[in-house]
Amino acid sequence: MSESEGVMAGHEALREESPYGIQHKKLGIWLFILSDAVTFASILFAYGYVRVGSTDWTTPFAFSPTIVNGMVMTFVLLASSVTMLGALEAAKNENPSRCLAWLGVTVLLGTLFAVLHIREWLRMIGEGWRLFQNPVGGPALFGATFFSITGLHLGHVIAGIVAILVVAIKYHRRRTDESHVETVGLYWHFVDVVWMFVFPLVYLMNAK
Amino acid sequence: MAATQPRNALGMKSYLAIWVGLLCIVGIEVFLTYRHLSSDRLLLFLLIFAFIEAGIAVMFFMHLKYERPSLFWSLIPALLFVLFMMDHFWPDALRLEHLRVVHW
Repeated sequence: MSESEGVMAGHEALREESPYGIQHKKLGIWLFILSDAVTFASILFAYGYVRVGSTDWTTPFAFSPTIVNGMVMTFVLLASSVTMLGALEAAKNENPSRCLAWLGVTVLLGTLFAVLHIREWLRMIGEGWRLFQNPVGGPALFGATFFSITGLHLGHVIAGIVAILVVAIKYHRRRTDESHVETVGLYWHFVDVVWMFVFPLVYLMNAK
Repeated sequence: MAATQPRNALGMKSYLAIWVGLLCIVGIEVFLTYRHLSSDRLLLFLLIFAFIEAGIAVMFFMHLKYERPSLFWSLIPALLFVLFMMDHFWPDALRLEHLRVVHW
């Protein structure tokens, strides 16, 4: 054994096994998800108390188009979680072309979600809704809570689309592996989980 | 590099079944919305269903069910504790309305 090999062997002996049996990047994304969950929880809690505590809260969302649009967005985002799982399954089975195809579909579905979301925003802005302006005469806080909560979520969706694209490009060049697909997938599923709270609390609670 | 996904995770057919189940829960949420419940009662029901959905997604889509139990016990109780404390401390802010300083 050479001197350098001997030194490395010494380092190996000092390395402890992860108590969770996962790679550091996966533990890192779980810790990020946990902290981000608390961020979303805090604004949703604040919104929830304001919403239930106000007697004259505005409920402007008609079943069509707003609630229907929200249901379609939910369908699309949940479907994108399944396609992300397909990408991971393909990566695990060492099928790069299939993995890239699933990642591409996930990006397309994520983009469709973002487009539907922005279209909804533009329609509301066209009706006179602003961060601190309520065109139907109720509390101005409606616009503030709606745009800040859905805006934060939309920002996460756009960040997720970019992250998936980066991982896909690097995966195509063989510079990343299935562990990166899994890590970005965890983030994407988290975005989906947050929407499971945003849709009922922000859209359904404000249905006419 | 070795695969990091747990080997006993579900297959695509099971994921599709879970996806359909989650869509059904969303359908129930929409149905409840138009039952004209009081806002606090509706909020309670929607939160219960949202937590069920989130639990299913975290356990199966995010594979937490198939990781070592130590990961679950390190992450989830801490998160639930923070949410519990938020739930108890947020209403305390409502006292401010009664403590409002009178400006002369």
